[in-house]
Amino acid sequence: MNNIYIYNDSFISLLNLIKCLFKNKIRPYNIKNTFYNKNMFDNIIKLNIESDEEIIKEFINIFNTYNFKLIYNVFNSNEENKEIIIYYYLLNYFKYKDKLGMMRNLKCVSETLRISEKIGRECHKFKGFTRFKELKNKVLYAEINPDNNILYLLSIHFKKRLSNEYWCIKDINRNIISIYNKEDFEIISGNNIEIFKNNLSSDEQNISDMWKDFYKIVGIKERKNERCRMNFMPKKYWKVLTEMEEENEKDSIWKRVTRENRRGN
Amino acid sequence: MELKEKLQILSDSAKYDASCSSSGSTRKNNGGFGNTHYAGICHSFSSDGRCISLLKILLTNACIYDCKYCPNRRSNNIKRAIFTPEEIAYITINFYKRNYIEGLFLSSGIIKNPDYTMSLLIETITLLRNKYHFNGYIHAKAIPGASESMLKKLGSLTDRLSANIELPTNESLKLLAPNKKENEVFKIMNYIKTNRNKSFVPAGQSTQMIIGASKETDLEIMQKSESMYNNQKLKRVYYSAYVPVNKDSLLPSITIPPLKRENRLYQADWLLRYYNFKVEDLLDKENPNFNILIDPKASWALNHLNEFPKEVSSCSYNDLLKIPGIGVISAKRIIKSRKHFKLTFQDLKKMGVVLKRAKYFITCGNKFYIDYSYLNKHFIETNLSIEDKIVNINKEEVKQLSLFNYE
Ligand code: SF4
Repeated sequence: MNNIYIYNDSFISLLNLIKCLFKNKIRPYNIKNTFYNKNMFDNIIKLNIESDEEIIKEFINIFNTYNFKLIYNVFNSNEENKEIIIYYYLLNYFKYKDKLGMMRNLKCVSETLRISEKIGRECHKFKGFTRFKELKNKVLYAEINPDNNILYLLSIHFKKRLSNEYWCIKDINRNIISIYNKEDFEIISGNNIEIFKNNLSSDEQNISDMWKDFYKIVGIKERKNERCRMNFMPKKYWKVLTEMEEENEKDSIWKRVTRENRRGN
Repeated sequence: MELKEKLQILSDSAKYDASCSSSGSTRKNNGGFGNTHYAGICHSFSSDGRCISLLKILLTNACIYDCKYCPNRRSNNIKRAIFTPEEIAYITINFYKRNYIEGLFLSSGIIKNPDYTMSLLIETITLLRNKYHFNGYIHAKAIPGASESMLKKLGSLTDRLSANIELPTNESLKLLAPNKKENEVFKIMNYIKTNRNKSFVPAGQSTQMIIGASKETDLEIMQKSESMYNNQKLKRVYYSAYVPVNKDSLLPSITIPPLKRENRLYQADWLLRYYNFKVEDLLDKENPNFNILIDPKASWALNHLNEFPKEVSSCSYNDLLKIPGIGVISAKRIIKSRKHFKLTFQDLKKMGVVLKRAKYFITCGNKFYIDYSYLNKHFIETNLSIEDKIVNINKEEVKQLSLFNYE
């Protein structure tokens, strides 16, 4: 049987579980969150561990800030086996210490670095692709749809950049919202707050129209290159981009018509 | 005229300038509004696949000059407009706040004379920096012929200040841009080079050359770039494939911009700046132009097959950089890792080294990746040219800069 250890979905509970496994010298077959669908050969184990927040300090002390940031990034990814990658990465740290980063021949190292870079890349994309709308009460509101959970990293960026504005960023794929009050941001569940996102400031229409004009005009038609655009700005992100509204509409009409057409046949 | 229409006119007349970078500056948000990101940020990509980072506009397109290749030249019958400083500030601030842009790229047609034009640019940017406390990225174009006191002021307000050389030789400039003088452009470049510091043009200067409007070879173009990198310490040279906007007996009668050629020049430029190549390694009098079918690095490697294969577990950093398909990031990773364990092809893949192109040129632990009886020039050349595609150079710059910044 394969021993699958279950943690309580949060990062802190994962760290507490890993600490406990290390302490008792247990090699798990895999580590999964509570949504895991058990299969035939699995032996599901839920340890009764207290979720202690002090563990963050403890881990930073043992593994240093750099490694801690790495595994936090991996945890925020959408990779299937991220927990066990984190487990082996940390386990190997005891052996290799600060040389661990060079040991890219170990799968847990190459995977950790690859995934962390992937998160960094998607976060960097959204530093550009986040689009705020100004609401009537002057709050800037944006919706994003990243594949990975980058809201925390992204909020750090906007905290520095738009430090004197009130802003909210909602990750619509995860239903979480980062709220910034000119001092710090906090990430809460989307269920706990209602935002009147259609109540826009008086300038909003005019400004976003000018932006859409600008976007259309800067494309040089003699150089048109759809593949290149798609490569750097994949279609999945278009629905949060103000300047792509028209294209999105075209797209959805096209989809609807072809669907209806097919149904007609 | 409504602001909306002005923006349409003055962004349309600025769009042919190729520069788009917003990197190289670390301006902080000191209780004001915005900051800059050292690696630069692309906010969108236009329908031609180019990165949109800055609000790229002209202050006015009412130009007194008559450069043959330019849509704004005096002799063209087009709608003219001019922004007020407040208007530019209003759009910049509102675009920035919504995260549409990383900052402002402000250039201008020449109105009255160079110094008067400069004074309008200075007034606008002063307003942004001092009244609105805007700390986002600003790239301004210096007007050739401007006095030093104007350059001094403008440079102290901007992250990047630059002047376009426009054409690779003085003869072409005389022919196609009779009002512009090469030595005036160099005067600006040299002034910026001498005075550059943390608070004067911190992100450095760039320039642009139009490709295919005049008769120069790639060799002449690259030599010009090399000399400007060495002597004027430029950060970037942009190459802008000539888009035929005007009809003129002095201009070539093309209908499609020479994009492939532009791409080759960017690739070669990359080799000069990051791969320790020299122009003389790549081109000479007998072969003054790049091969359109194959990129300059691969082409160099094919002409130096006797220097290959390189053994990745022992060859120098510089040798790694010479291998087609291996970039700065991969080379650094290889160097770091191979001290700690014996490299295999599997490891290279795990490290993110792409073997698609490199496989013809390397051994790893004295093993070839493919049957080496295939390894002749013709076979490799055919395979490499099939895979060749146009890459967006700006994207690579972002990757590259973030590497230097964080690793
Ligand atoms: S100076 Fe020449 S290139 Fe610049 S706007 Fe005027 S005509 Fe165009």
